[in-house]
Order: sequence, then C-alpha cells, then structure tokens
Amino acid sequence: MADKKERAAELLQGTLDLLILKSLERGAMHGYGVAEWIHESSQDVLRVEEGALYPALHRLELRGLLSAQWGISDNNRRAKYYALTGAGRKQLAQETEYWRRMSGAMARVLQTA
Amino acid sequence: MLPEWVNRTWLRLKALTKRAQLDRDLEDEVAFHLAMRERKNRADGAYADEARCAARRQFGSATLVKEEARTMRTFYGLETFSKDIRYGLRMLRKNPGFSVIAILTVALGIGASTAIFSVVNSVLLRPLPYEQPERLVQVWESNPQRGDERNVVNPMNFLDWREQNQTFTSMAAVVDGSTTLRMGGEPLEVPAILVSPQFFSMLGVAPLLGRTFTDEDGIRGHDQSVVLSYEFWQQQFGGRADVVNRRLQVDEEPATIVGVMPRGFALPNVKGSMWLPFVIDRSDRFAQEGRYMMVVARLKPGVSLSQAQQDMERVAQRTVEARPNFNTGWTAKVLPMLADATRDVRQPLLVLLSAVGFVLLIACANVANLLLMRGTRRGREIAVRAALGAARGRLVRQLLAESLLLAAAGTLGGLAIARWGLNGLLALIPEAAPLPRMQSIRMDSAVFLFALGLAFCTTVLFGLLPALRLSRVNLHDTLKQGTLRGGVGGNRVLRQTLVVAEIALALVLSVGAGLLLRSFYRLISVDLGFQPEHVVSMHVSVSPVKHPDGPDRARYITSLLEAVRRTPGVQAAGTTHFLPLEDRVSGSCFALGAALPTNDADAPDSQFLVITPGYFEAMGTPLLSGRDFSERDASGVPSAAIVNEAFVKRFLGGGDAVGKQLSVCWTVPNPVQIVGVVANARQTRLKDAPEPTIFLSNMQAPMYGATFVVRAAGDPGQIVRSVEMAIHRVDPEEAISEVQTMMHVFSDSASDARFQVVLLMIFAGIAVALAMIGVYGVVSYSVGQRTQEIGIRMAMGADARAIARMVLREAMLLAGLAVAIGLAGALALTRVMESLLYETKPTDAVTLVASCVAILLVAIGAAMLPARRAMRVDPMVALHYE
Repeated sequence: MADKKERAAELLQGTLDLLILKSLERGAMHGYGVAEWIHESSQDVLRVEEGALYPALHRLELRGLLSAQWGISDNNRRAKYYALTGAGRKQLAQETEYWRRMSGAMARVLQTA
Repeated sequence: MLPEWVNRTWLRLKALTKRAQLDRDLEDEVAFHLAMRERKNRADGAYADEARCAARRQFGSATLVKEEARTMRTFYGLETFSKDIRYGLRMLRKNPGFSVIAILTVALGIGASTAIFSVVNSVLLRPLPYEQPERLVQVWESNPQRGDERNVVNPMNFLDWREQNQTFTSMAAVVDGSTTLRMGGEPLEVPAILVSPQFFSMLGVAPLLGRTFTDEDGIRGHDQSVVLSYEFWQQQFGGRADVVNRRLQVDEEPATIVGVMPRGFALPNVKGSMWLPFVIDRSDRFAQEGRYMMVVARLKPGVSLSQAQQDMERVAQRTVEARPNFNTGWTAKVLPMLADATRDVRQPLLVLLSAVGFVLLIACANVANLLLMRGTRRGREIAVRAALGAARGRLVRQLLAESLLLAAAGTLGGLAIARWGLNGLLALIPEAAPLPRMQSIRMDSAVFLFALGLAFCTTVLFGLLPALRLSRVNLHDTLKQGTLRGGVGGNRVLRQTLVVAEIALALVLSVGAGLLLRSFYRLISVDLGFQPEHVVSMHVSVSPVKHPDGPDRARYITSLLEAVRRTPGVQAAGTTHFLPLEDRVSGSCFALGAALPTNDADAPDSQFLVITPGYFEAMGTPLLSGRDFSERDASGVPSAAIVNEAFVKRFLGGGDAVGKQLSVCWTVPNPVQIVGVVANARQTRLKDAPEPTIFLSNMQAPMYGATFVVRAAGDPGQIVRSVEMAIHRVDPEEAISEVQTMMHVFSDSASDARFQVVLLMIFAGIAVALAMIGVYGVVSYSVGQRTQEIGIRMAMGADARAIARMVLREAMLLAGLAVAIGLAGALALTRVMESLLYETKPTDAVTLVASCVAILLVAIGAAMLPARRAMRVDPMVALHYE
C-alpha cells in the first residue's frame, strides 16, 4: 500500500530499477557502488539524485528481486551489499529485452520523421 | 519461490517487531554512502567542509529517503493510523466544547436509530421462535367481493381443508377465549386458547415440563388435559415442578395439567395462560355455523407459497360445492405467519424508522458543519502540514481519524441512549395495543452490528466531505494571508448547503408529526355515539354447567342485572356480548321481510350485538324512535330487534323502521320485528365508521357470557366494589373479569395512534433542535467572519437594525430555500403515512402551512442571537481585529 505513493519520480522508477538490476549483474555491491556505477556507465547522462537510490533498492529487495547482506567494505566499514536473486535475474532479462525492442522502435520512428 | 506478497508481508512483519534495528541499519547505510561520497569528493580535490556539503547535496534529503524506506518496510497504514488516532484525541481534548457537542449529536442520532431498530429487528425481522419458521403460514377464509381478505375460519371448512390439501404437512385450528378455572379457592377467569392437538408438534416446540397434547386429548369421554404457559405456571404455581398431573376444574369439569411450555411460547398475537385441546366433531352445531377459528399450517418441504395458495383455492372451491349456501363467494388465503402477524405494525414501524433515519442524517449534517467550521480555523495548520510535504491522502486520513473518534464515542453514547431509550419506548407502548412479539424486544447482536454500521456510515457522512474539502488547500493563499481567518474557499457554500438540508429534513419530520397530531386530534374528538364518562364495565361468564339451557342463562343474567341496578350510586345498567372499541363484533346475514334468506352467501350482512334492556341507557346512546327492549321481550313471544341509523339508511332507505320485519341468521325465532332505532355508535375501532347493526335481546337469544356496563352517578371507580358484591350476593362463585371504566377503554382504543404521534413528535422535536443549532452555528460563524466588515459599516454610519437585518437575511434565505425543498420532500414522502392517518390527507394544508411557519420562526429565532451580537459590534475593536 505504501509503495503506491504518488511521486513525480514514478516515471523514472522503472528505468532506475532496471539500472540497479543491471549494475548488480556482475556481482554484489553496496548502494554507493551502484550509484557510482550508474554515473560512470552512463557517462553522467543519467543524473540520479543519489538518495532516491535507496528507496528503490529497498523496494526491489521487498519484491524479492534483490537479496541484501551486511558485510565489510574495502575501507573496513560496515556496508549493506545487494545481490540479484533468481527472480531478479529473470526480471533483468525481461526488462532488457523490452528496452531493446522499445528503443529500437523509437529509433525507427524518429528516423522516419 | 513464494508468492511476492507472502515475502513482502513477512519482511513487513519482521520490520514491525524489529523496528529499532531496521532504523539503525538504514541510518548506517545512508551514513556509509555519505562517507564514501565525501571521500571521493576530497580525492577529487575538494576541501573537507565542501566535500561533506557536496556529498549531502548530491544525496538529497536524507530524511525523506529514510521516511520513504520506512513506510515501505512497515505496515505504514497501521502505524500512522495509531498516530492519527493519538493526534485526533489530542485535538478533541483541546476543544472540549466542540467535542462534547459533536459527540452528543452523534450519540442522539445513533441512539434514537438504534432504539427504533431494536424494535424493528425484534418485531419485523427476527424469525419466529419455532422450528423452520419460514415454512409456517396462516390460512384464512377470504371473501374478495366484500373486500375481506383475512376472515376467521368455519370449523367444517377447516376439517375439509385439512383432509383435502396436498401442500401442508399439518394444519391446526386456534381459538382464543377464556375459561373459568377452579383450583380449590375462588374461581378464576383466565385467557385460554383452544388448539388442535397437533398444534405444538407442528410448531416444533417441546414442552418445558411434561408433555403436550396427543391425538387422544380432547376426545369426548377422556379426561380434559391442560398445558400451562410458563408465565401462568410461575404466577399461580410458583414454578413448582410437581404441577404436572395436578388436577383442577376447567369450566366446572375435571381436568389434568399435562405440561408446561417454555418461557415466552405463544403465537405472535394470541396470548393465553393455558392451552386446551380442541377436537371438532362434524355433528356439532357449533362446527357447522359461524366462522371463528384461526388456522395455522406448515408447508411441505419444497412447496412454495403460491403453490399452497393454488392448492387451497382448489380445496376451498370444493367446500363451496359441498355447502353452497354457506360458502358461496368464499375462498382461502395463505399468508406467511410472520408477515401476517406484523401486518398492522409494519407501516408505522417503518415510518418511525425512517423518521429516526432523518434525525441521524440531520445529526451528521450538523457534525459535518461543526468539523468544517473548526477545520476552517485550522486552515493554516493544515496548510503548514501540506507545505512540509504531507500528501493529501495523508491529510484526509488524519481528518477522518478524528471523525472516527467522534463516531466511536458517539456510538458508545448512542448505545447507552438506545438502551435507556428502548426502556422508555417499551414503557410507552400501550398495553392495549401491544406490538406483536413485544416481549422479545431487546438489543441483540444484530442491533450492535447495526449500530456499528451506523458508526461507520456516519463517519463517512460527516467526516469525508469536510476532510476532502479541507485537505484541498491552496498553500499560497492560505499561508500568505497569515490571518486567523485563513479561510478555505468554498466552505461557506458547503456549510450553507448542509444547513439547508438539515432544515429541509426537519421540515419533513415536522410535517409528518403534524399530520399525525392532527389525525390523532380528529380521532379522539370523533362522535362515539355513547357517553363513556361515568361508565364502568366488567365481564361475567355464565357457567354452562350450572346454567345449561338458554332461557335459564338469560334469567340468571337478568337477576344479576336487577341486583346491580339496586346498588346505591348506580344510575343504569345493561349488558352486551361485545364491548365497544375493543375490535370485536359479530356479523351475520339477514333478509328484509318474513322469509329467511334462501342463500346465506348472497344475503346482506349486518353487525349483530346481543344486549339486555338498559344497555343504551347505561351507555348514553340516544334512542331515536320506538322503544328499548323490556322484560316483555322474553322467550316465547315474537322476537324483537333494535337497529341503528346506519342500518335504516342502508337497508330501509332512511324510512320508518319501527314495525318492519326481518329474518336473521341467528339463533332466534324468525321473523324478528324492529321495535326501536338507536343512534350510530362506534363499535369495532375508534376509526371505523359505524356499520349497520341489528341488536337482539339476550332474553330471546341468550349468550354464554355478558359484559356489564354500569352508569354511575359519580366516579365509576367507586361503585366497582359494591357492584361486584351485588353480583356475588346472587352467586358467590361468579368469576368477574376485565373490570375497566369506559374512559379507559376509550383511551386504550386511541393508544396506538397516541404512541405513534408521541414518538414522531419527539423525533421531530430533536430534528428541529438540531437544525436550530445548525442555523445558529452557520450564522454566528459568518458574523464572526464579517466582524471587520460590520465594524466598517457601523463606522460609516449604518445603524444597528440595518446590521441585524443584514445578518437575519442570510438565515431567512437559507430557511426559505430549505422550506421550499422540504415542502417538496414532505409532499413526496408523507404519502407513505396515508394508512396511519384518520380523516387527514397527507397534503393537509393547515399542517403544511403551520409546519413551514414554525420552521421559519425557529430559523429566525436561531439567528437572533448572532444578529444581536452583530448589533453590538464595537467599530473600534472590529477594525483592530487583526
């Protein structure tokens, strides 16, 4: 009931979820790592307000797409590490496929215009 | 994998129990992120302070993030709900005046509704306390040509019905009457009910003690058996278990008590102290003549009401063929037992229920108005909350939580009021016109569910509208204005609409109450045709054992009458077989002239009463022509009759009646000569116009019992004792019952109408009072809002009266509009009351006009106080108001 809350960011939410799933494809990472990965791999085009990442991470965890575990970071601090679950991997594949088709279609539409 | 929602619910449950831990984790997670970002920023070359600030900036609002994560984790609704409730409690405590008024208003509305619903539930809705009660029916004889749908049944017809029907598992006859009981001491006259032996097994109710009747009971030659009611057993035998097999005398014949029924067992409208077995013998004269039995029956499984009706019509047709003289024109009518028993009270109860529904609606409108007014003062608080990021849904929820608290407190109060009100209500229900199943009226689980439902509905009704309206704040305007008034636009119209609705509803109720009042007044000022003052009546049953033959019974009554007439203080005395205004009369056929009607069914019908000389004198009914009965009209001389005006008008064309001959279907030698004409008098009920009536002399057509009417010179209550003694001097064992003054009988006959009018007046009174509060609230609020404007007007030279007019104009406009709407509503709705009204149309102009004027006056009265306050506004103070 709570995650139905209306936010302006809702439009972006799906995108953000996909980015997070993608960032965790190669292994567990903490929230800061995810944020950094998004900055770097999108060459700063997608400027996510970093705070917004955490509700998204928690939501994905609640949906069972991510699992979370507390561990020790490379600088010896307690940090929460997120990893993809089986369901998360499946969701990532589906979403990726969808985006491919979508962006392909958009590209064609824009070219013909 | 588990379904998603299971996982989510599990995590949430975990979150609920380990909230502190999760909060710390979240804190750590955010801190870690900020620390990492700060380190990165410094590595990129920023100074320490700047690096930290930049990290914060890049992160955004940490509070918001934590809040959002938290709401996701937990049962957000549940937690904020308890928070809302606590906050609501605080707000209600801060405004005790407001809270008390709101809670009382809700309590009044819910209390009244719940009390009336308790009655409706117990009387109309709750199943009858028998086995599979929905399969029980009443079967009546009906005569569609005479518009008589529910007539009592002839014994022969009942026997044919029972033998020939194919749709009932069993059928039982019920006749209520009274018997004289003797258990050693004084004889006791008690209400007793004759029932077919299978009556008890048909209803499926087992006795508390002993047994009920078997097929042998009631067969002649067997000992008479008696089953006692629980109440009579308690009262006469102190609830002793050894009462079974006790012997006693019933109507001078030996009988044995065989059983006791459980508490409250009875047919809905037939109360008796005991049941006697009733076996009909086709050869009995009383089986062939007259219709006087009630018939109850149980439908076979799977048989519908309409199938049973068709079956009974078929059987009834066969009885017509078998006895055409008696049965032509008659058929049978099958009605569900519960609907049949509550037929007379359904309409009045539903009218009362709608009336309290209106009261509740008005109460809700009032509380909604109070909430709106208070909410407007809280406009700034709400705006600030909205500015701090409270979502609209959150604000609505919080405002609703307050309403829910009000409703909960109001419902508790309402249940208390209902309990207390129900006792008052039951005390108000006249003994003479008891509701069917009245003793079962109580507040049960259905009533509590109803109250709970009301609480929920009222919360939505009075809470949702203000909550939605108030939460739609215009931040910019409200905060900028920065004044106490902090108005939320549009509320004024909403408040005024609510008040208009209140007044309109109150008007509808007032019209309803006014109509009943007017009808009641007409009813009690109707011309009775007799003078009830100074008259006392009492019933004497003549023992058929001591006085087996008719002339002997008649002589016995005459001797009692002579003794009564000799009593000091007695002016006149006579007897009748049915007292007026107790809904009892006999009816039979007759023919003009010396020849008996050839066909009972086609002959004209008249009411019949058997009286003694002196009856009319004692009752004060004027003799218009001819003479009263006298000692000369004894057995052996030609039969005499007296008829009333209605008879003369209907059957003799208003001409001269005395000397004319009649032949009557009654146990009296024909022909009968009319010797006198009396004025019309009300016989069955107060509201029934007098019907054509033939009076016969008890000397010539002796009855088994007689009701004495005795006119006293002074207070009739004071001669009762000496009249009883006079009767006991003739026969010390004579059982005298139903001693009551005629004024009492008269008052009882109007009691159900009085009950309805009193209740509806109370409800209308509450409604008007609530509407008055509503008007007062709205007008005084708008005076408060316009204090500054009024100050300016006064400073500019407006005089106080102009100001008062300005204020009153608002009240007048609202009330005028409401009266127009309410009048339309009243015209549409009071039509359902038509059956409750006596010689009063629902469109009665006097009532309508009087109600409208009264409502307008009340509205102006309610506006007077704020108007006076406006007149006293000090311009200087008003202008410094802000």
